[in-house]
Amino acid sequence: MVIGIGGAGSKVAAKLDAQATLINVSETELEKIPQAGRRILAVVHAEHGRFRGSRKNPSIGHDAYLSVRRELQELARGGMVFSSTGGGTGNGITTGLLQDLAARETIPESEKTSFGLVLPYAPLEPAEFVRNTIDFLRGPLSEAIDSGNTGNIFLFSNRVKFESRLSEEAFNIKMVESLKVFLAIPDKNDTLRLLDGHIDPEDFSLFMARPYFNHFTYFDYDPGTPFGKQLEANTNALLLPPETPIEALFLIEVPAGGDPTVFYDVLQHFNDLNVAPIYSVVENPELKQPFITVGLLYSRKPAELLDDFNKRNEQHAQVKVRKSLEQYVDLPRLDVSLEKEAKRAAKQRGSDEDILQVLKRLGKL
Amino acid sequence: MKDLFEEQVENLSEAHFLVLYWAAQGEGRQAKYNITNCFDDLKHCGITRTKQTAVAAVEALSALRFVTLRGEGNRRNLYISRHGARALEALVLRQKFTPRSSAYLEGL
Repeated sequence: MVIGIGGAGSKVAAKLDAQATLINVSETELEKIPQAGRRILAVVHAEHGRFRGSRKNPSIGHDAYLSVRRELQELARGGMVFSSTGGGTGNGITTGLLQDLAARETIPESEKTSFGLVLPYAPLEPAEFVRNTIDFLRGPLSEAIDSGNTGNIFLFSNRVKFESRLSEEAFNIKMVESLKVFLAIPDKNDTLRLLDGHIDPEDFSLFMARPYFNHFTYFDYDPGTPFGKQLEANTNALLLPPETPIEALFLIEVPAGGDPTVFYDVLQHFNDLNVAPIYSVVENPELKQPFITVGLLYSRKPAELLDDFNKRNEQHAQVKVRKSLEQYVDLPRLDVSLEKEAKRAAKQRGSDEDILQVLKRLGKL
Repeated sequence: MKDLFEEQVENLSEAHFLVLYWAAQGEGRQAKYNITNCFDDLKHCGITRTKQTAVAAVEALSALRFVTLRGEGNRRNLYISRHGARALEALVLRQKFTPRSSAYLEGL
């Protein structure tokens, strides 16, 4: 079951699965998305919330969570939830869901929920988005990870959208297409001729049920170049960069008659990192050269993750203060050289005279 | 002889450097700087807690002829010598130690 929460989350979820369930506090926003399996309107006690959304305020979203709590928990069981971390609805409702998951004793592997979270691009997006994201990462997300009750968490970043100046639609398509490549691993394993190893749907869902961050990527694999270098050069720009993996999974597709042993280098790479990956090698007659899809699970501490956002938040605050000073306060410009001032003050005290000058003056040098 | 001088300078400690520095500074301001002031300043900088150490540093500089000790009244005042001036110059240029202010001289 694919679930989209809030404006951004709903758009991504609907692109991934036309039968996705969409949740929003605003009826208008819900109706904007043409295809969906089900639309659920989360109720906010304040009347105006229904048409105006959460207005970047996660507490409105969190209030609304109470109205869909039971239903959402049921739907999210074993499913995948998409949400942004910057806005009000996605952040607020997902916060509620994560807190409930974290509070539970244990959750069976088959019932764990994966999360696709879209993080704002701090330099260009509103300061509220950055602040909401900081609270989200610091609080509910980190608690949920510590509890081990979530499945994989995909941390998408809006960086590529802003740097490549993509439309929201184009960026969402890019994100979903990319995710589809990763999610297609078990199907490819089933439909294409198996040459070595295997990743069946059960293996794949077990991997998806691990409570770590997932960084997946895919690229044309060149057996002549060390795999580590290729991986480094081909990290998925749509996701936050990965840390050293704890677990890994890869699928290599080789062209018809291609060398099925190319995977040993990849295996060796992970072995050097003390990771024993799940893998599979299949023959794909449509390909001209080997193609690899890799999933890396890592457990980057949210504190470190927060750092980048915190720095940016501080910059935002400084710029705001400076701008309001420029607009409202008329300050005369003083060109003060602190070094010169310090020297002048020291000279007045008589403590700064260079000791070598003193010795020369005394005739001792 | 030049090598010996180099070696002597090389082996001076921070306490020696500061004593030379303050003696020169005091002399530059025509203030008398004596062993007691020297002990107070070294103590203030946290370099020593005993007067013996302060006296030892001054005695060593005096034995190397880097400072001259002159009994004036009931005080023994420090004066930097030409050798001492060259030694201090070498230490300042090498930036081996950071000068610190003398509580006695600053308080004047």
